[in-house]
Amino acid sequence: MAISRRAFGVGLLATGVAGTGGYFAVKDRPELQGLLGNRTTLTGFIGGEKEAFLADPDVIRALGSRGLTVQSRVAGSVEMVREQALLSQNPQFLWPSSSIMVDIGRQNGVKIRNDRVVLNTPVVVYSWQPVADGLMKAGLVTRTGEGHYQLDLKALLDAILAGTDWSKLDVNMLYGRARIISTDPNRSNSGFMFAGLALSLLSGNLATSESLAEFGPKAQAIFRNMGFKSPSSGKLFEQYLAGGIGGEPMIVGYENQLVEWILADRARWDRIMAGAGAKPVVLYPRPTVYSAHPLIVIDEAANRLVDALTTPALQQLAWEKHGFRGPLGTPAGNASGAVAGLLPADVDAVLPMPDAGTMLTLLDLLAR
Amino acid sequence: MTLAIRQARYLVLTLLAVVPLAGCNIGKGPDFSIVSGSENTVLQPIVEEFCKQKNAACTFKYEGTLDIGLALQSEAGVSQDAVWPASSVWVEMFDTRRRVKNLTSIAQTPVTLGVRKSKAQALGWIGRDVFMKDILTAVNSGSLKFLMTSATQSNSGASAYLAMLSSALGNKPVIEPGDLKDKTVQDTVKALLSGVERSSGSSGWLADLYVDQARRGTLYDAMWNYEAVLKETNDKLAGIGQQDPLYAIYPADGVAVADSPIGFVDHGRGAEVQAFFNDLLAYLRTPDIQKRIAATGRRIPLADVAATPEPLWNFDPKRLVTAIRMPEPAVIGEALTLYQAALRKPSLTALCLDFSGSMSGDGVTQLKQAMRFLLTPAEASRVLVQWSPADRIIVIPFDGSVRRSLTGSGDPLEQEGLLNAVLGEQPGGGTNMYACAAEAMRQIGATKGLSNYLPAVVIMTDGKSDDESRRFISQWAATQPHVPVFGITFGDADKTQLDSLAEATSARVFNGGSDLAAAFRTARGYN
Repeated sequence: MAISRRAFGVGLLATGVAGTGGYFAVKDRPELQGLLGNRTTLTGFIGGEKEAFLADPDVIRALGSRGLTVQSRVAGSVEMVREQALLSQNPQFLWPSSSIMVDIGRQNGVKIRNDRVVLNTPVVVYSWQPVADGLMKAGLVTRTGEGHYQLDLKALLDAILAGTDWSKLDVNMLYGRARIISTDPNRSNSGFMFAGLALSLLSGNLATSESLAEFGPKAQAIFRNMGFKSPSSGKLFEQYLAGGIGGEPMIVGYENQLVEWILADRARWDRIMAGAGAKPVVLYPRPTVYSAHPLIVIDEAANRLVDALTTPALQQLAWEKHGFRGPLGTPAGNASGAVAGLLPADVDAVLPMPDAGTMLTLLDLLAR
Repeated sequence: MTLAIRQARYLVLTLLAVVPLAGCNIGKGPDFSIVSGSENTVLQPIVEEFCKQKNAACTFKYEGTLDIGLALQSEAGVSQDAVWPASSVWVEMFDTRRRVKNLTSIAQTPVTLGVRKSKAQALGWIGRDVFMKDILTAVNSGSLKFLMTSATQSNSGASAYLAMLSSALGNKPVIEPGDLKDKTVQDTVKALLSGVERSSGSSGWLADLYVDQARRGTLYDAMWNYEAVLKETNDKLAGIGQQDPLYAIYPADGVAVADSPIGFVDHGRGAEVQAFFNDLLAYLRTPDIQKRIAATGRRIPLADVAATPEPLWNFDPKRLVTAIRMPEPAVIGEALTLYQAALRKPSLTALCLDFSGSMSGDGVTQLKQAMRFLLTPAEASRVLVQWSPADRIIVIPFDGSVRRSLTGSGDPLEQEGLLNAVLGEQPGGGTNMYACAAEAMRQIGATKGLSNYLPAVVIMTDGKSDDESRRFISQWAATQPHVPVFGITFGDADKTQLDSLAEATSARVFNGGSDLAAAFRTARGYN
């Protein structure tokens, strides 16, 4: 009953009760918990894309002032709600990257006490300027008036299924066949969402279980061509940045990942922009899907983390320093100079995800 | 640095595992240990500078990919605070309990074929695209042999092997499960691997071997290794006045790229240790340090820093290379088993086993245990060092002289026969490892189709041998081919004799002190 206790505390303060009463007041105010040194440590699994957010000293401080220390380990969104090897470690919370994971976790017997979407971010495609330039020439990518890139993902998927070489897509510096890589849909959310999006695009409509018979094998072919798939979005994004255009010409990720990476070291970003090498480019698939980040409470104590993360202070940190949009897809605060104009204010063409039943069947198909 | 000194350093690092590298002022920085692939040896001083700044005692241990992987997979996990393998693929494959945090790539380096430039010229490979099929043609015609680490023990060998498989599959985007059963694919890769002249469990050691041999006046044709290690090797070759560098061949149909990731392993030693790791990461990403890392020939794509191109040996770290797509871990596992069981060049291994009197008690018990591990397919295959029926095994128990000599193939039944014979031996008598090595050499020399095998002698001993080294070495030098004589020490063995034998024959000594089976396993990676 955090709220009423907080109200009680505020009430006590307001009437000026000192001494013991004051002590109890502070004790019951979540944002002052840290002052008393009675800290609660919460352990749980998080999607890799939130690793930097939770490692941010400002975030640690904001949580700490509420008496919370979060010890998180990175795991794929799908695996954290399904893998016994992870669940048997008794996490107090899970923080995957899609609302469907709540359903899937429940179906797998995870004892969910509470769940709430605390952040949102659209699924995007990361590529490199020379690739984007080629694809623009080939008509697969267009540029909006604000300078954002939109990708005809359906056309790209068709080209990949047809075994088209990069050179045929006017990307002449790359050898071999065109490819796009996502995380493992059976373990990580961005791959999972990309699988749903791909199935819908291939079906020509929001995919249902009926679409699977005809279009499932095509989705399967797309994923088979990827070979090794990273289990976590954060790792794939690192792989993309580290691998460069030769290693990772095109990957699936979240919008916030590049923002966060830029803000983590602006000087580095300025050097890249001024440098001679290929530059990272965000392509917005049209349509795309939204990744919601629900915090799943397993141990009651983790409810305090939900409360903390939905406060304006942490919401603002999430947007301004890490590029996460709020629970409704809207920015909380202003994105700072380095990324101004990089993100569209809203992403209009958004498709819902296929239902959990369709997705689970699709996952089985993709695991084969 | 001679091979012996480098060996000694490896040994110190591997065996003692604890080498304080920075000041020991109490209460300043934390103690911090890193287990890393041998290719990172050149980066150690850069890390040490940071440790010094932080007044932290940093220790390094160098291990093969598989060793790091197996440790990650084990119940106990790795004991170090950080892992720094050659490629993140192995962490994904083996770290099933997700113990590694903040895994971050430090640099990229493709695995390429360095070919002695005069040889590359003769093959017509200078200044044009070379495909894996060109390499195959050269191997098939007998005009190219190469050094390559064991694909099951080391990342550079695994990378070269996967590139071979990918190429053999033609223009497929990635290796898929059923593909490995394809007979044509198997035959192609087997033919490519018949070009292996020497193998090892360590990329760094292989490069040292190349330089060491060059110093002695012999140049191997070629070596699969990291682009950055080729640069290091060529710098050393230039340093000894060698005019014929290793010319980098990047198979145009795709190479595997190592991403050299470092990750934190939390042992609950407190926030200070985690903070130290985070600071180390930040340090490794500062522009100045990135410049120095790039100067070693490593690629850091977004940093806009790179070593100066050296057209003399076709080195340009800014040139785009076509990367093969890594297959699914299950497929990689299947491919590695296929390598060990069928496709690698067969080995011809003579095992000299010390059954002298001093081995009584624990010594003999442990030796027999180690042999049980090595000659039991179910056990050896667990760590991918199993024999294949194409291998030839010679077992020679010795004391003051050779007791007898047993030969068999890697066929499971024949292994069992060899094992039973070893289990029947009892300790007694003096020690003369040279007599055993000479007998091993004689038998290897008499083997039919010797060029189809990778030959090696492995001597396991606990003590000081009668010294017949001079006679043996002169005999060894007069015999072709030169077979490396590896050593495995046991107990508080006097290492000097084995060390000088290994040095003279371009081999290596492994410490079996704490775990004899592990030492035999590691030695297997070199043969």
